[in-house]
Amino acid sequence: MLVQLKVNGELRSADVPPETTLLKMLREDLGLTGAKLGCDVGDCGTCTVIVDGESVNSCLMLAAKANGHDVTTIEGLATSSELHPLQKSFEELGALQCGFCGPGMLMSAKNLLDKNPEPSVHEIRDALSGNLCRCTGYTKIIEAIQDAGRAMTGAGAAA
Amino acid sequence: MATTVKDVKKAAEALETNKDLTTPAVKPVTLPRDNPVVYPLTLPESEARLRTPAVGQRASRPDGRLHGLGQTKYIDDLTFPHMIHAKILRSEHAHARIISIDTSEAEAMPGVLATLTGREIPVNSFGPTLQDQPVLAAEVVRHRGDGVAAVAAVTEQIAADALEKIKVVYEPLPAVFDPMEALKDEIKVHPPASNIYASKVIKKGDVEKALAQSDHVFHRVFRTQMVEHVPLEPHSSIALWDGNGRVTIYSSLGRITLGREDLSRTLKLPQSKVRLVGTIVGGNFGGKNEITNEPILALLSKKTGRPVKCTFTRGDEFISSTIRHPFIMDYKTGVNKEGKILARKIHLVLDGGAYCSWTGTTIGKGSILAPGPYEIDNLHVEAYAVYTNKTTTGAMRGFGAPQVCFAYESQMDDIATKLGIDPLEIRLRNAFSEGSASPTSQVLQSVAVKESLIQASERFGWEDRPR
Amino acid sequence: MRPFEYAAPASTQEAVALLAEHGERARVLGGGTDLIVDLKHKPGSVAMLVDVTAIPELLGIEETDEGLRIGAMVKYGEIMESPICNELTPEIVAASHTVGAVQTRNLGTIGGNLVTCVPSADSAPSLLVLDAEVTIAGNDGSRRVPLQNFFVGPRKTCLEPYELLVDIWIPKANLGKPSKFLKFGLRKGQALALVNAAAALYLDKQGAIFEPRIALGAVAPVPMRATKAEAHLAGKKPTEALLHEAAEIAVTECKPIDDFRASANYRRQLVRTMTYRTLQRSVEIASQR
Repeated sequence: MLVQLKVNGELRSADVPPETTLLKMLREDLGLTGAKLGCDVGDCGTCTVIVDGESVNSCLMLAAKANGHDVTTIEGLATSSELHPLQKSFEELGALQCGFCGPGMLMSAKNLLDKNPEPSVHEIRDALSGNLCRCTGYTKIIEAIQDAGRAMTGAGAAA
Repeated sequence: MATTVKDVKKAAEALETNKDLTTPAVKPVTLPRDNPVVYPLTLPESEARLRTPAVGQRASRPDGRLHGLGQTKYIDDLTFPHMIHAKILRSEHAHARIISIDTSEAEAMPGVLATLTGREIPVNSFGPTLQDQPVLAAEVVRHRGDGVAAVAAVTEQIAADALEKIKVVYEPLPAVFDPMEALKDEIKVHPPASNIYASKVIKKGDVEKALAQSDHVFHRVFRTQMVEHVPLEPHSSIALWDGNGRVTIYSSLGRITLGREDLSRTLKLPQSKVRLVGTIVGGNFGGKNEITNEPILALLSKKTGRPVKCTFTRGDEFISSTIRHPFIMDYKTGVNKEGKILARKIHLVLDGGAYCSWTGTTIGKGSILAPGPYEIDNLHVEAYAVYTNKTTTGAMRGFGAPQVCFAYESQMDDIATKLGIDPLEIRLRNAFSEGSASPTSQVLQSVAVKESLIQASERFGWEDRPR
Repeated sequence: MRPFEYAAPASTQEAVALLAEHGERARVLGGGTDLIVDLKHKPGSVAMLVDVTAIPELLGIEETDEGLRIGAMVKYGEIMESPICNELTPEIVAASHTVGAVQTRNLGTIGGNLVTCVPSADSAPSLLVLDAEVTIAGNDGSRRVPLQNFFVGPRKTCLEPYELLVDIWIPKANLGKPSKFLKFGLRKGQALALVNAAAALYLDKQGAIFEPRIALGAVAPVPMRATKAEAHLAGKKPTEALLHEAAEIAVTECKPIDDFRASANYRRQLVRTMTYRTLQRSVEIASQR
């Protein structure tokens, strides 16, 4: 079936079997391999993308369900001239190690900061409860999110 | 066109005068707003790369930029034209003889291009110490999850469906799961060999005499559990061949030189015909130290003439990838009234899983570190690794160190409580100092155990703790 | 997943018709947080997935003269952000917050949770203590069923073939009823409940307990009401001793099992503590009025 949707502001479409997940379509049909397959059952969060302003597990969402909707992936965060404040903070504070949890983590973080620009540590932990990381122990990730939040409110505009 | 002496001279002159070698100006590019950002913009230079000494300078991770952009390519992110997918059929039995494998129905399925069984693998064994592990079990399966056959198909789903069509006839065999049972060798996992496949003894002084002379003897058995690495990135590999009979394997393997050796051996190819490409590994922790299904993919790729990819499911990761050794640790420690350890007698049993994998390193390290970072003159460590019909135990962060640490630190607290000595104090009384001898009599240098304990305890407010 | 067809009907009638057409081989798709996982791991023969998340009758949160209506396909995230729910049914909001993680709550629906009908369903206790009812629609029209009767057994509801859960109703009298929900899992997020519990009660003008309700999850084949404990509380002043007594009675009413997450004995202890705490907090809220 033909699935048409907006991905990172661009109209994209692909002809996929109905049982295709949004994750599979992004990775295999649209060439957007940022979202990862870590568990395929919505536990690890590496597949996290934002649909209509809400973070979801793309491995649990059928591509068909996303038809006509607005999807933001990690590839949509930076422009060709600058990084998103979150990407900047993550890089400067060394928040990622192997990087595999990164795209999902960043999308959950973006979703949080878009709604709550000055989250407490507890709120950050709650917002990241669906994103696992086996390398870092989360500390620097939390610091980077706080750092990015401050940068974003300082700058005034939400990205 | 031949280069004349005149041309060479001219070029040499140009170099000297530097006239013609101005850097061509970089023409500015106007990128469309929606240009997907694939390349990492302009990377900042890390202070640590610009200064000497680099120690103490700020360093940024070289992979940080691509990670943040989501552009780091892991194996599963790679595709090749005409790539197909493989899946592995895994045993439901913990221990069984394979009577027959019939892949014909799977092969007949539309979309299935090839199957593979253990008998087709040129050298069907591998392992870092003992080559006791088959690439695909051909005669016997030794744990639930042991691979017995593989399928390559045009989609992952067809490959997964095809697995159900492979008919394996098993003759179930008695299985042994408890390492203490396995020690008895009543049910053998690799007959005729004993289940005890690795051992180590460390002796120092006279432990029995010193135990007899101790004011108190503490005896306890500690156990640790199976732990799975759960790297966020599942094991993943892609195999393809070129026109010169050389196979290229892209793999999430961490140890690629070792991997190439294993591939050369199992595929009976000279190493010059094996190219193993590793990339950023999405979490290893020891679990991606040895080959898994790379030889299988190489052979399927050869059969089908197409690149073949296989990625473990999360379920495969738990059951069919290596895990940390459970340890059963019997500690007998003799101390004097002041809590100074006079003697320590340790008996370790490592649950060695179905295959050896990295047990050799684990038993060695575990044994040497078992007494703990403490000055002990009378020591006896005896360690045994046994086969069991369970998931292969291999390398995982620490190679035995975490397990024994749990035992000796727990016992230290037991001793401190019983003798009424502060837990920090008792450790300071026993810890290594500069020049102390390790359990194997290595003279230790740059020892900072006591200083670290004191500094750490000051930092986290040990003295101010609630009593 | 194995191939199936997909349809996203725009009305309940259309959905019911599709279900009737494909019979056993059709499944209703809500958020998919349970169903998609099932289809990946236990592929049965599913020919058609009927996505009901866009059907207007199944959406929306509104307060009417009858009470509070929550559409079956309302997501947990929406409940958490709803001013009406936060004001009138804060413990349903609290329960929603304990489900999965952010991503799950942005896909998963309250109705889906009820239809999956596992004993540990996190939406159940806080709804049961408010005497919730559900609307069911099928070929023969629609009917209203008390939530307690909706749960028949583990993974078995009273839905007949080709019937849909439409919405959930909280009676007007129970909006704002002092209530407390607690969940105990092995983690704070992405965890199943070892036990979940809710209580709700009013205090009358004399300060005596009026209309007490206690609901427990994961300790019986379905989410249950501890009716004996409730009876013990009714009409009495809420002393510490009384609340503890009620908790003890609740322990005798539940039927927990041993499983790899916890022993039945441990679950009983959780029931005792959580019944007390949910009652105690409800009394506190009621006393402040």
